[in-house]
Amino acid sequence: MRYAIFLLSVTAMAQSEYNVVDSFETGYRFATVGGNRQQYRSEVNYGNGIRLLNSYFTMNSKDGHGKFFDEIVLTTQGLGNDPYESATLRIQKNRLYRYDMLWRENAYVNPGLTTGNAAGQHLLDTSYTLQDHDFILFPQSKLKFFLGYTHGAQNGAGISTVQLFDSRGDEFPLFANIKRSRNEYRVGNEFQLWGVRVNWMRGWEDFKEDTPFSSGVNPGNNPSDTTTLTSFQRSEPYHGTSPYWRVAIFADRKWISVNGRFTYTGGQRAFVLDETAIGTAARIGTLNRQVITTGNARRPVATGNATVSLFPASKLTIVNQTSVYNVRTEGNSAYLQFNNATQSSDLLYFQSLGIRTIANETDLNYQALPWLGVYTGYHYSNRRINSVEQFALPSNPPDVTPYQQTNQLHSGIAGFKLRPIKPLTLTFDAEVGRADRPFTPVAERNYHALGARLRYKWKTLQASAYTKANYNINSVSLSSFSSRARTYAADVSWSPMERLSFDAGYSKLHLYTEGGIDYFTNFNEVQGERSLYFSNIHSVNIGARIVATKRADVYVGYNRVQDTGDGRSNPLGAGIGSSLPAFQAAQTFPLSFQSPLARFSVKITEKVRWNAGYQYYGYKEQFYNRENYRANTGFTSLLWSF
Amino acid sequence: MIRILLLLLATISLQAQNYVGSNACKVCHADVWKNFYKNPHFKSIASGKEEARNTGCESCHGPGQAHAKAPSKSTIVAFSELKSKQVLDACLRCHNEALSRANIRRSSHTLNDVVCSNCHSIHKSPVPKFLLARNQTDLCYTCHQNVRSQFSMPFKHRVNEGFMTCTDCHNPHGSFAPTWRMASRPRMVDQALANEEPCLKCHSEKRGPFVFEHAPVRVDGCEGCHQPHGSMNSRLLRKPVVFTLCLECHNGAGNFGRQGVGVATQTPTHNMADPRYQNCTTCHVRVHGSNSDPFFFR
Repeated sequence: MRYAIFLLSVTAMAQSEYNVVDSFETGYRFATVGGNRQQYRSEVNYGNGIRLLNSYFTMNSKDGHGKFFDEIVLTTQGLGNDPYESATLRIQKNRLYRYDMLWRENAYVNPGLTTGNAAGQHLLDTSYTLQDHDFILFPQSKLKFFLGYTHGAQNGAGISTVQLFDSRGDEFPLFANIKRSRNEYRVGNEFQLWGVRVNWMRGWEDFKEDTPFSSGVNPGNNPSDTTTLTSFQRSEPYHGTSPYWRVAIFADRKWISVNGRFTYTGGQRAFVLDETAIGTAARIGTLNRQVITTGNARRPVATGNATVSLFPASKLTIVNQTSVYNVRTEGNSAYLQFNNATQSSDLLYFQSLGIRTIANETDLNYQALPWLGVYTGYHYSNRRINSVEQFALPSNPPDVTPYQQTNQLHSGIAGFKLRPIKPLTLTFDAEVGRADRPFTPVAERNYHALGARLRYKWKTLQASAYTKANYNINSVSLSSFSSRARTYAADVSWSPMERLSFDAGYSKLHLYTEGGIDYFTNFNEVQGERSLYFSNIHSVNIGARIVATKRADVYVGYNRVQDTGDGRSNPLGAGIGSSLPAFQAAQTFPLSFQSPLARFSVKITEKVRWNAGYQYYGYKEQFYNRENYRANTGFTSLLWSF
Repeated sequence: MIRILLLLLATISLQAQNYVGSNACKVCHADVWKNFYKNPHFKSIASGKEEARNTGCESCHGPGQAHAKAPSKSTIVAFSELKSKQVLDACLRCHNEALSRANIRRSSHTLNDVVCSNCHSIHKSPVPKFLLARNQTDLCYTCHQNVRSQFSMPFKHRVNEGFMTCTDCHNPHGSFAPTWRMASRPRMVDQALANEEPCLKCHSEKRGPFVFEHAPVRVDGCEGCHQPHGSMNSRLLRKPVVFTLCLECHNGAGNFGRQGVGVATQTPTHNMADPRYQNCTTCHVRVHGSNSDPFFFR
C-alpha cells in the first residue's frame, strides 16, 4: 500500500516535467503437489496466495535537468511471499549522483543428500535475504566518490547430525536454529592524476553465526548400535571481520593501455564452542561429556594484477597480464574435553595453509583479413603450497613437519574466427594445459579442450550451434582419474512476423569419469578398483509466442531435461568397475525433469490486461521413487499500465 | 613550428565545422530521438558542456555533416558496418574508465568477436538498465545454450526464476586472473571481496577462515565438488552420491594432498559395505572447514 501511495504521489507531482511509465501485475498464484513435497519445495517451491507478481515504474526527466533526480527505475518481482522475491531501484541525477539498490529474498529449502536413495539427514528450511546499496557521487566527473553497503542474512530451521561418543559410535539428528548474517561496508574514490586514473576502495565485511544445535532423547540412526543420547546442547558463536583494500590504476593512450589492481583482505574469525552430550556409549557406559573449544582463525590475502595492452597496429592487439596471489590461513584452537566423571583431557590444535600463485598470460589477437581473425595465447601459473599440520589427539601424535610443494601449469590457447558472409560467424578454439603437480587427483593435470561455435543472424532469424570437448587425464602410479566431457548444443529463434515468434534449443551433455578408489570392507582394504560415473543429459526447450487476435497473446513452451545414464535398467549395472554394489549403483543416475507451460494475456482496456498461466513440473528418478513429485502450478493476474 | 600549429588549428576547426549537432539528426531519425531522453547517452546532450565530438549522436556516429547532405551508411559511422575491433574502440573511447572493464581486451568474448553491440542495443533496449539487447538471462542464453540446459536442471541456482543473474558471478567484460585453481582458469568470473570466489558473496558461512580448512576448497575452489550452474544431483554435486566424490580424492595415491604423499584413505573402521558409512557428511558435517575438529566432526 505504501508503495502504491508513493508511486501515485510521485506520479501526480511530476507529470509536467517527467515522463512516467508505471505498471503493476497483481494476482493469485496456486500450486498442487503430489509426491515428495520436500523435494518440490527444494526445486520449485511456488505456493498459494495473492502476489504482486511484477511491477515496473520509471520516471525520466525530459530535458535531463530534474530538480532532485533525472531518472527513477523501480522494478519488483514476486512480492507477497513468492519464494523468489526481488526489488531493484535506481535513482540518479545527471552529473551529481547515482544510487542503485537490489533487494532479494529466497525461501531456501534443501532436503540434503536424499536423491539416489541416499539417507540425507541434513535439511535447511530457511529464508535468505540479500541487499546491496551503491551510491556514486559525481558519476560522470574525473573525481568520483563511492559508498556501498551489502547485507545478507539466513535464518530458519535446519537438521544436522552429530556422531557420538567415539569413532565407532552412532549418529544422531540435531535440530538447528540457523542464524547467520553478513554486513559489508564500502567507501572509495576515483581521481585522475597526470592522465592516470586511480580508483581505491576500503571495505569491511562483518560475519556472525549464532546457530545453536540441540536434541532430546534419541536412540540414534542405527537400531543395532547401543549408543543412546539423553540430551545434547551446542552453542557456537562464530564472529569475525574481513577488512579489505582495493587500489586500481588505469592509463590509456592510443597505442597502449595499462592497468593495475592490488588488493589486501585481512580476515579473522573468533569462535567458541560449548557442547554438552549426555547418554550411554557402547563399551563405556553412561557418559556426561562436555567439549569446549575457543580460538581464532586468520586468513590475510594479498593480490596484485598488472595488465598491459599494446596496439602496435590497428588490426593487432597484444595483452599481457601478470598476477600474484598470496594467502596464508592459520589459527589456533584450544580444545578441552571433560568427561565429567573423570575430568580429563586438554589438547591444542594448530594448522597453517599458505598458497602463493604467480601467473603470467600473454594473448595476441590479430584480424588477418576482413573475414578472418586469429588469436593465440600462452598462460603460465606457478603455485606454491606451504602446509603445517599440528593437531594432537589421543591417537595422533603432533605433526609439526612443514611441507612445501610447487605446481606449474603451462597452457596454450588458440582460435580463429571466420565471417565468410555477413550474417554468419564461425569460431574455433582450443586449449591445452599441462600441470606437473595438481593438488588433488581430480584436479586438472593433462587437459585439453576443443570448441567450435556457429552464429547466424539474418533479419529476425538467429541460429547458433556449439560443441565443446573437455578432457582431463590424470595418471599416477597407483590410481588414475580421467574425465571426458562432450557438449553439443543448438538453438534457433525466429520471428517470421510480428505476431509470431519461435525459440527452440537442444543440447546434449555427455560425461564419463573414472577415478581410482581405496576403501575398507570388514577391516579388509580393497585396492585397485575404480569409481565410474556415466551421464548423458539431453535437454530440450521449445517456446512459441502467438498474437492470436488484436487483444490476445499466447505463449506455450516445454522444457525437458533427461539423464539417460548409461542405458542400464537397474542400479546395480553390469558388473563393471567396483565389485561393491554401492559403487555400482552410484555409477549412473537416470532421471527426468520436465516442465510444460502455457500463458495467456488478454487486453481488456488500453490500460488493463488479464493474464493467466499454467506450468507443470515433473521430477522422476528411474531407479528410486522416494523423491519423485509432480506439481501443477499457475496464476491469474491483472496487469495495470499507466 | 608555427605552420604546424596553424595546420593543426585549421584541421580542428574544419572537423568542428563537420559536426551538425543532434538536432539535425532528429529530423530523419525521429523514432530514435523520440525516447532518447531516457537513454543514458542523453546525459551528454543535457550537460550542454561537452565538446561537439562528445555530444549526442555524433559522439558515437562521428561528424554528421556529410551524412546530412547525402544520407547513407557510407557517410556516417554506422555500427552495423564496423568490424568488431572498431566497435570496441568506439565504445571504449568513453567507457574504458570502469574497473569492471579493465580486462575487456583480453576477455574470451573479445577474442571470439563478441563485442559491445552484440549484447547492447543503444537505441532499442527493452530493459531498464545497461541498454541490454534483451533481458540479461535470455541474452546470455543466445550463445550459451549449454548453460541454459544447466539452469533447467532440477538442482540449480535460481537464474531462470529471476532471483539471480549471470553477472552475479560473471563479468562479461572480462575479469582479472582468478585466485583459485591455477590462476589461468576459469575465465570471466567475478570475484568477491576483491579476491575470492564469487560463491562466497552469498555463501559467506563457507568462507572461513577456519582453523582446520578443507585444503582443496581453498586450493581448487568450490567447483572441485560442485557444478555451479546446475546439476542433476542434489546440492549441485558432481556425483549423485557423496561417498564416490570423497573417495576419488581420498585414495592415498600419488603425491597429492597437503603432505604430498596422497590424500589420506579412510581408516579400517569405515566398512563401505555398511550403508551408514556411505553417508560421509553425516559424521563429517563440517566438510567445508571447521574450527573445532581436524576431521570436520563438529
